[in-house]
Amino acid sequence: MGAPANDALQPALAIDPMVVDAATRAFDDLAAKWLAGEPSSAKRAALLEAVVALGFADALPAPDGREAWLDAAAIIRAQAQAAAPIDMALLLATGDRAGSIAYDPGRYACAATAGAAVDAAAAAALALGRCLQISGAMAAALELSVQYVQDRKQFGQPLAKFQAIQHSLALAAEEIAACTAITDLALACAAREGIAAARLPALLDGAAVVANRAVDVVYDVCHQVHGAIGFTREYALHRHSLDLLRWRDALVLLRGGELRAAERLGDRAIGAGGVWRAVTAQMKPEISA
Amino acid sequence: MRFHFPIFDLPPETEALRAEVRAFVAEELAAGRWQRGGDFASNYDPAFSRRLGERGWLGMTWPRKYGGHERSMLERLVVTEELLAASAPVAAHWIGDRQSGPLLLRFGTEAQRETFLPRIVRGEIFFSIGMSEPDSGSDLASVRTRATPAKGGWNINGQKVWTTFAHRNDYAIVLARTGEAGATRHAGLSQFIVDLKAGDVKVRPIVNMAGQQEFNEVIFQNTFVPEDRLVGEIGNGWHQVTSELAFERSGPERYLSCIRLVEAALQAGGGTPAPRLREALGRMSAKLVALRAMSIAVAALLQKGEMPNLEASLIKDLGNAFEREQIAIFRGLMPELAAPGAEYLGALAETTIYSPSWTLRGGTREILRGIVARGLGIR
Repeated sequence: MGAPANDALQPALAIDPMVVDAATRAFDDLAAKWLAGEPSSAKRAALLEAVVALGFADALPAPDGREAWLDAAAIIRAQAQAAAPIDMALLLATGDRAGSIAYDPGRYACAATAGAAVDAAAAAALALGRCLQISGAMAAALELSVQYVQDRKQFGQPLAKFQAIQHSLALAAEEIAACTAITDLALACAAREGIAAARLPALLDGAAVVANRAVDVVYDVCHQVHGAIGFTREYALHRHSLDLLRWRDALVLLRGGELRAAERLGDRAIGAGGVWRAVTAQMKPEISA
Repeated sequence: MRFHFPIFDLPPETEALRAEVRAFVAEELAAGRWQRGGDFASNYDPAFSRRLGERGWLGMTWPRKYGGHERSMLERLVVTEELLAASAPVAAHWIGDRQSGPLLLRFGTEAQRETFLPRIVRGEIFFSIGMSEPDSGSDLASVRTRATPAKGGWNINGQKVWTTFAHRNDYAIVLARTGEAGATRHAGLSQFIVDLKAGDVKVRPIVNMAGQQEFNEVIFQNTFVPEDRLVGEIGNGWHQVTSELAFERSGPERYLSCIRLVEAALQAGGGTPAPRLREALGRMSAKLVALRAMSIAVAALLQKGEMPNLEASLIKDLGNAFEREQIAIFRGLMPELAAPGAEYLGALAETTIYSPSWTLRGGTREILRGIVARGLGIR
């Protein structure tokens, strides 16, 4: 373009969300920093519990707050992507282990109530943690599916060669991108303006609405392209897809249900005199970088 | 994920610009200079485009020496999204501002830039895209329009189709075959600036399903194009055409086409809006926030000199599907509205009739999903 490239322009959110190794190292660094000594599995679990369940802002000390937030966010997402063996928050609240094949939607209403009862800020942090987990698990489910359709041959060629398969996976990728974008927007808001930021609840309501749909699409597409093998206990897809169902329930119920989240956003649009006015206001930082 | 949409904030100074555009729009509407309606490809008003030029809102990112304003891609995004959100008549200048100008900046000669860019910036000349042909739709590499060397330039023979506003615009940038296609089929294509008013181009209207003449057939029979109207290098046309896709596919015109309908429904909702309307408005705004964040990401990456073509294609497919879904939702809400008046009904009719074109123009849904699949590594 004619105007000179602007090197000074920096993203508001500079995490590479999907680098599992780097995030795991960061996790260990954090554990070492805050828990002293070598990170043991118990310490890791304790930190994860603090980070996810209590609202990761509160769990981390203030001085380098923003950086710590982003580290924590990367960890949560990466742990989710790797279908981390224990989701302490859910384990405590529901007795479920992440990656297990149990799915009982009734349990999450209790978990959500428990989360929301702590206080609004903790509920917001918890919702944000859920959004990050969901975006991580969706990415993992998609990656597994992409790998599978390249390996699996039918009619003499890999499934990936079929346009119907390509387009299904493209749709899933698009929903994931949207869900990840609004999650990152909420994260950027929380990291800079704090968990009590006035515009954060609307972003989290939006994330719940977008995630609710994205999870449906990903759950549908990723299982469909896998065929029957994805529906077994021995194959790994359920580790991500059932996590998605659990975390989606937990997120949506934290916002009082998808319907309530949507209604609140609708009321904001009506109050602002239009959807467009509400959207631009919601996306305007209250504190500049 | 294999797609990257980093979160960028719009710089604080863009808020003043946004307020300026909103005030301008309000003033124009109050003066009755135009009515909300149509979209970037249908609502054509050269006088409005000239007024935008006077405000400095055309060619915003281009160098000053060509009349541009050297503002950022994000500032340009603020202006374009506010104009689209207001359903303002932007069709006359849209292609020149979004596509033809940047093409000339990137590949044109100095003389071409000096000749055309300042006039685009002032809203004096308007451009069409000359790509599709009767036998060449999504399969762009199959174009048959041919340019053959002639004394002092080129003779073009062939036919373009779906050429929006060729009957009113001044120039078309025509993709023509100048050599053999080669194994990849992408070789041997070149781009030319063709003067649509020169008299040796035949433009025939095609009336669309809405009863409007917007697109045309454009026929070249030994149409002479001087040497200095070749854009870029001979045989480099495919690369030139595809390098602009991030500009073409990521903008707010790909997710705001239904905004007039949605805002009209909101206005018609009455003092106690139905829960279903509130819910629909909320879902609409949630997805709009996500799409806009993605679109801002692409604009920021373009500003940094990157070419996120893949991400742009993803935005267009997601945005177009979203737009079309909103029409069905807001049509279903008609019985829930307190006062479904002329604005709502007009917007509903218009968006419904035009919506098939949204998922065709600028890359069909099928082509876009193929590109996204390639990004996933499965094509």
